[in-house]
Amino acid sequence: MHYRLNTQDTNQSKEPLRVGLTRLLPVMAGEGRNVALAVFAIIISSATTLTAPLIIAYIVDRFIATNDYQGVFVWSGLLLGVFLIGLVSSYVQSRTMGGVGRRILFNLRNAIFTKLQALPVAFFNQNKSGDLISRINNDTDKINQFFAQALMQFLSNAALMLGAGVLLVSLNVRLGLAALVPAIIVLIATRMLSGWVKRASFKSLQTLGGLSGEVQESLANFKVIVAFNRLDYFRNKFAGANQANYSASVKAGVASNIFLPLYGLAANLGTLIVLAYGIILIGNGELTTGLLIGYILYVTNFYTPMRQLASIWASLQLALAGLDRISEVLALNSDMTIVPSDEVVGDAVMAFDDVSFSYSGGQDVLSDICFSLERGKTYALIGPTGGGKTTTASLMARLYDPSAGTVRLNGRDIRAFTAEERAETIGFILQEPFLFSGTVGDNIVYGNPAYADLAGGQLVDRLDEAGLSGLLKRFDQGLETPVSASGDAMSLGQKQLIAFMRAALRNPQLLILDEATANIDTVTEKLLEEILAALPAQTTTVIIAHRLNTINNADEIFFVNGGTVTPAGSMESAVDMLLNGQMQS
Amino acid sequence: MSSPNSARARPNSGKLFALLVPYWRWIALLVGLTIAGNSLNLVGPQLIARAIDGAGTANYSLTSLIEQFLALAAGVFILTYGQSIVQTLAAEKVARDLRTKLIATISGQDFAFVQKVTASKLLTNLTSDVDAVKSFVSQAIASIVSSLFLIVGASILLMLIDWQLALLVLMVVPIIGFSFYFVLSRVRPLFRRGQEALDWLNKVINESILGSSLIRLLNSQALEYDKFIVANGESKAIGLRIVGMFSALIPIIIFVTNLATLAIVSFGGHLVISGTMTLGDFTAFNSYLGILIFPILIIGFMSNVVAQASASYERIGTVLASPPPEPWGRRDDPLHGDIEVAGLNVRYGDKLALENVSFSVPAGSRTAVIGPTAAGKTQLLYAMSGLIVPESGHVRYDGHEITDYDKQALHQQVALVFQDSVTFALSLRENIAFSNTVDDLSLQKAIETAELQDFVATLPDGLDTIISERGTSLSGGQKQRIMLARALALNPRVLLLDDFTARVDSRTESKILANVAANYPGLTLVSVTQKIGPIENYDQVVVLMEGAALAIGTHAELIHTSPEYVQIHNSQQSTDDYALQA
Repeated sequence: MHYRLNTQDTNQSKEPLRVGLTRLLPVMAGEGRNVALAVFAIIISSATTLTAPLIIAYIVDRFIATNDYQGVFVWSGLLLGVFLIGLVSSYVQSRTMGGVGRRILFNLRNAIFTKLQALPVAFFNQNKSGDLISRINNDTDKINQFFAQALMQFLSNAALMLGAGVLLVSLNVRLGLAALVPAIIVLIATRMLSGWVKRASFKSLQTLGGLSGEVQESLANFKVIVAFNRLDYFRNKFAGANQANYSASVKAGVASNIFLPLYGLAANLGTLIVLAYGIILIGNGELTTGLLIGYILYVTNFYTPMRQLASIWASLQLALAGLDRISEVLALNSDMTIVPSDEVVGDAVMAFDDVSFSYSGGQDVLSDICFSLERGKTYALIGPTGGGKTTTASLMARLYDPSAGTVRLNGRDIRAFTAEERAETIGFILQEPFLFSGTVGDNIVYGNPAYADLAGGQLVDRLDEAGLSGLLKRFDQGLETPVSASGDAMSLGQKQLIAFMRAALRNPQLLILDEATANIDTVTEKLLEEILAALPAQTTTVIIAHRLNTINNADEIFFVNGGTVTPAGSMESAVDMLLNGQMQS
Repeated sequence: MSSPNSARARPNSGKLFALLVPYWRWIALLVGLTIAGNSLNLVGPQLIARAIDGAGTANYSLTSLIEQFLALAAGVFILTYGQSIVQTLAAEKVARDLRTKLIATISGQDFAFVQKVTASKLLTNLTSDVDAVKSFVSQAIASIVSSLFLIVGASILLMLIDWQLALLVLMVVPIIGFSFYFVLSRVRPLFRRGQEALDWLNKVINESILGSSLIRLLNSQALEYDKFIVANGESKAIGLRIVGMFSALIPIIIFVTNLATLAIVSFGGHLVISGTMTLGDFTAFNSYLGILIFPILIIGFMSNVVAQASASYERIGTVLASPPPEPWGRRDDPLHGDIEVAGLNVRYGDKLALENVSFSVPAGSRTAVIGPTAAGKTQLLYAMSGLIVPESGHVRYDGHEITDYDKQALHQQVALVFQDSVTFALSLRENIAFSNTVDDLSLQKAIETAELQDFVATLPDGLDTIISERGTSLSGGQKQRIMLARALALNPRVLLLDDFTARVDSRTESKILANVAANYPGLTLVSVTQKIGPIENYDQVVVLMEGAALAIGTHAELIHTSPEYVQIHNSQQSTDDYALQA
């Protein structure tokens, strides 16, 4: 199954706006009534905005020109009413649409998070975590900004522009069409320029990414740079990236800043056309002064939203690109479904029947593996790096499904078990220990429903019972020792201890340790061995290790290399195979 | 998370403006272009007013109107585009120079500084903080200048036309200003809380991605979802409150503006009727009102940009102002290799990572440091290589304080192999010959000593193969050996190994150590390790526990005198046979 997301095609969507907007529809589901209300409010408020100049023109022509102050007064009252309606409707519009935006963002984030939780480990292995995090954080944020600010402005500006355009043309067809000529020219110019602007902006974003990449790499490895006297490397690499970003950003700025002056120019030309043509029309008696004043206001009402639309355009494009990247995740489905099966073969706690496995599209990492693990015994997997030990262990816990053959847990196809049953039965201490931010105690009981509600003191008792409390001495403040988000303050050995306690406390039937103690000192490791020995007699343990003392107590040793899993027999022959195996590799 | 309060405690925008002093030519040009462009904009309504008033009269020339207006439009276009180009250039220059200054400061600091401030905070300083300052230059300066100019200019012109009506209309300015201030002062803390909620949300998401394997193993998706939904709900709640405040603001401002329009129509209409005002002036009044309102909004929004930029620049300023580390001496004589550690105390966080550690290493000898997890072994090596400054105590090389040496000369001769593998996105050759002083011969010798030649031979591009940043395509053992080769390529006099054996099997390990002895005669070796087997014939072993050196001696001595050492020894006893075979 391919879960790899597209990271190459960084171009923004080329589809027309209409198609882009329709793709926003699904995430707006359930908001129909609110959106309808907002659109209604937008229409009303745009209508009031557009009616006001008409009324003013009428007041000028009908009353001011005829010295009828009574009329001015009455119609001013009407104008006030229109303004009040505008106040209410624009408030309703902002409020409703803003709420819609926040709820859509909430739903969108929920949808992605739920999807991420449903996708298997392969998905996370096939994609860079940085890219995934950026999709969820940055891309949803772009969509947020769009919904929170731009969409409302977009809709109301579009409505205003449309309304003003219609009024311009309908009040006086020739004058109206003439006023719109600069707009058409400017739209054509925008189309021609947008490729240039897009390329320049993209280049600038790219160099910015390059810049932070350089800084991140150097700062994270600062100790090496200092210890090897390479501050010049840091400075030079950075200076290059900084300069590249500078020139790309200036070019992008020069490109993208063309639009506002251009639209301003169009607005001025539109005004000029109306003014000049209008004066001629007044001269011919085809237009009144009041209407000309109203007309000039409409030109402003047409070109100002158009200018706003131009600046919102970029935000819309970004939101659509973000939506693209998120939709890509949402479209994925896990292929690791539950396959019902009642067939029970043998009573081994874990068995591989002709199992083959390859990572997506690659060569077989394991081919036709057969073995079975008996209840209560300890097994060791040894072999050179890259030989397939971790893969074998991952298949045991159904982190992946085999490409052929069957993995059996307690005789049944492992795919027939629910995730809950698997988690209960199998404990797996991963090669790279992962800690959540919080405390050591939080991390030990993490994901363990039996201990979730225990108070600190009770937890210590349970750890005592399991013989684990001695390990807490390795932490300054015991269970309360804080774990920061990056886990920087913990040594690798300490993280491994926490992962060990987390797994041992769950009392699984099958416990897998994947180089789980590589960075723990041998005295503590002895303690861990005692803890393992004290687990219920029925517990089956699988140990993957480099250090031979860790696998000393194994009942049986498997040698894993080149896609095969071979029983090694005695410790001596295992060491022998390890040596020879390494000679080959 | 260190007290967000102190960061926002009235950020001093004066400093921010002081930042601009070296760019005064650019800023002056920017201000000049902005004012010129806006002056032209103010002329527009005048032209319109004259056109409307003159429309009926005989001596009115339409051609001159068109000429004037075209000149105006072209002028506005050129000036505004020129202004945006200048502000882009100025902003990017400020940002580039600020980054360069930051990098110069950081690279003048020692490792302890980066460790204390943390790499991620420095990255924020270099990216988003600089961006905030950049948007101040690229948006705020021109906007504020033009807004102030337009407000003042439009007000004066209104007053010139009719001061009574102007005063009436100008009453909207304080009303709008006040409602803006009222809402913004309430929204700002919400913004900050919104950002905090977002950070929290992002943390939950990040952890769910980085810990995805664990979550699947423990079937704890529901737990993660619960964490997520709380964070997401909080973010939504704050977002909705912000929406609530802002959705009232803009309509109210527009309404207040409309009231001014109403005043113009009714009161201005009265003036026209009574003959004290022309219809053209009446139109101009309406146009100027439109010009007047927008700048008030802009200033309101820009006050946010200025506040953010001030806070960002203050954070940058803290980094720039951090005092340089104590300078080291100039001693650069070739090292003999005698090391003396005396009364060393190293603080890490709140507790002492090393407490009164003393031992000495004769030149050319081999010393092992052994001890449990979190005993302070890595801190000891860091102090010995000068990466961190001890709270008290001494590290001496050949009888001279480590700080008497020229830093570069010391790093050239004292090489440290770090516990974690650090590879750069460079070729394998550049990763190993990372120091500039490495020649081909040293490189070759280092590669052979680290037993990497076979591995290099399997690579299609050999030494020119590009290694990815996190070295994902390499196994743990390969990365570790590259780290060793990098250190050896310096031809060091002293080699410090940090748990080098953890990811290398015993056989390769003993081969490598034999290679080191053969190829680098006279090298002084200090090795932090977990395994006793390989160090039994070392010249001395230091047993380090909870920051204290409990026992020092040879293997033969310690096995009789140190219970802790015996304990470690016993824990490994059963497998020694195999290790020996290997």
